[in-house]
Amino acid sequence: MTKTKITIEEVKRLAGLSALEFSDEELAAFIPEFEQIVELVDEVKNCDIGDAQLAYTSHKLSDCREDQAKPSLPQEEILLNSPKTKKGSFCVPKMLD
Amino acid sequence: MDIGKLSLIELSTAIRERKLSSYEVTKYYIDKCHEKAELNALLEIFDDALDKAKEMDEKIDKGFKGKLAGVPVIIKDNILYKGKIASCSSKFLENYVAQYNADVVTKMLEQGAVIIARANMDEFAMGSSTENSAFGVTKNALDPTRVPGGSSGGSACAVAAGLAPVALGTDTGGSIRQPASYNGVVGIKPTYGRVSRFGVVAFASSIEQVGPITKTVRDNAYMLEVLAGGSEHDETSLKLPVNDYLSEITGSVKGLRVGVLKEIEEAVRGLDCENSYRGAIELLKKNGGEIVEVSIPDFKLTLPCYYIIAPAEATSNLGRFDGVKYSRRSKDAKDIDEIYVKSRSEGFGREVKRRIMLGNFVLSSGYFDAYYNKAKKLQQKLIAEAKEAFKVCDVLLLPTTAGEAFKIGAKDGDPVSMYKEDLFTIMANVLGVPAISVPYGKGKAGMPLGIQLIADSLKEGLIYNVADFIEKQEVK
Repeated sequence: MTKTKITIEEVKRLAGLSALEFSDEELAAFIPEFEQIVELVDEVKNCDIGDAQLAYTSHKLSDCREDQAKPSLPQEEILLNSPKTKKGSFCVPKMLD
Repeated sequence: MDIGKLSLIELSTAIRERKLSSYEVTKYYIDKCHEKAELNALLEIFDDALDKAKEMDEKIDKGFKGKLAGVPVIIKDNILYKGKIASCSSKFLENYVAQYNADVVTKMLEQGAVIIARANMDEFAMGSSTENSAFGVTKNALDPTRVPGGSSGGSACAVAAGLAPVALGTDTGGSIRQPASYNGVVGIKPTYGRVSRFGVVAFASSIEQVGPITKTVRDNAYMLEVLAGGSEHDETSLKLPVNDYLSEITGSVKGLRVGVLKEIEEAVRGLDCENSYRGAIELLKKNGGEIVEVSIPDFKLTLPCYYIIAPAEATSNLGRFDGVKYSRRSKDAKDIDEIYVKSRSEGFGREVKRRIMLGNFVLSSGYFDAYYNKAKKLQQKLIAEAKEAFKVCDVLLLPTTAGEAFKIGAKDGDPVSMYKEDLFTIMANVLGVPAISVPYGKGKAGMPLGIQLIADSLKEGLIYNVADFIEKQEVK
């Protein structure tokens, strides 16, 4: 059974993919915890699944509904939860000069 | 009439028959919510609840006969109720106000429910103790030094402490059943798709369900009749008629084939739950049940399988929390990248970050096939193994948890030990089948334990019947 080694670089890579930042101490503390969790999920990596086929839902989906246009939530209501809006849009800092 | 002693069914009947008003019942429960605030089971008691109760009284006077007419209900904080905050016990969504109702809320309101409060939970439903709430741990209703379980710990505590006759939870890996067990109440995770998930903040969409937590099995069956049913808003919801679950409760287990899992025999030995587990088997046997040993050979892989699928889906589902659309934006962020990273880093708690990282690990290039795809194939293998088991038994009987509620802080800094809390409950989520926890027996410190009954898809009525039987014997 191969044991997956977790390095500081790997944790940094995952933090980047996760759009999360950590202090160096937090990152270091992550490694032993993460190694333990990966050891747990490695049982799946190393198991024999025979000829089981891939299926992305555990149940058959119900029949699809008719594709009809229906009213959605009003724009102003959707924007109510945004931290910053302007003229009916979500507002973020300028991205291009 | 002692309102606190009435079951949900008795209460709804009394209100419909005008022996009690919704106002007095709602006031009674809201007063209880305030009295027991130190439990920290609730994040908010809704200030319009008494007005809604008055409105409901007028409606009932005019002949309204909804199944929940005037009955107070508590919802978990990840269920949207229009105009109210739904924070998922996260700082990220601390001020997020729902702009529409979850389907389950719509269904309850149509039947006349008065929603009185939102309950504490583990942040984004990730946890087994409510210790991961950004707003403080909930205490166990029976011992304040112990956890109430989780993630629906606030909901289970609320019902056990008599803050409402019913509360809604969500269950992704045991999050209804484990807290129900820890607080001595009844909780069901219905068949995947039986209840619409529309308007429930998603954690692991392919395995989670909403379900009721109640004091009795009959109340639970009554409540599921309200919640169940397909919805055009949730493509995974099953567009099938809803059973009359109460009529399936017969009071007998004669001839019932009770499956006991060969694979847990070793695991159960010496655990706090052993006496309760063996006692429940004996009880059913003595009353005409046939005990059958069954095998789900890969049972032990359900836990790691879950800890691949659930974080993978959580990572995707929580990607929407970017500091632009919902609630929180970091004050220190200067550009768009910083908005994403700083808002998420400040807004999410440690366990949520851990699971997002784990999700990205199993989904990332080079690992996807080895973990995620493999887990999804394993899930199919487990479903096939369970189908075989259900050919020879009607229900599976398992403990809900290894033992009674643990002390607050006992599992700090040990995520894997916390994950193993879900050892017996996770299988039902991975399989998509219904599972209920009913109180049976006590642990070493005298805290309640739960027995879990699992059946094949859509056989909620069957597990209600067995759970009701066990519950009645427990009371005796």
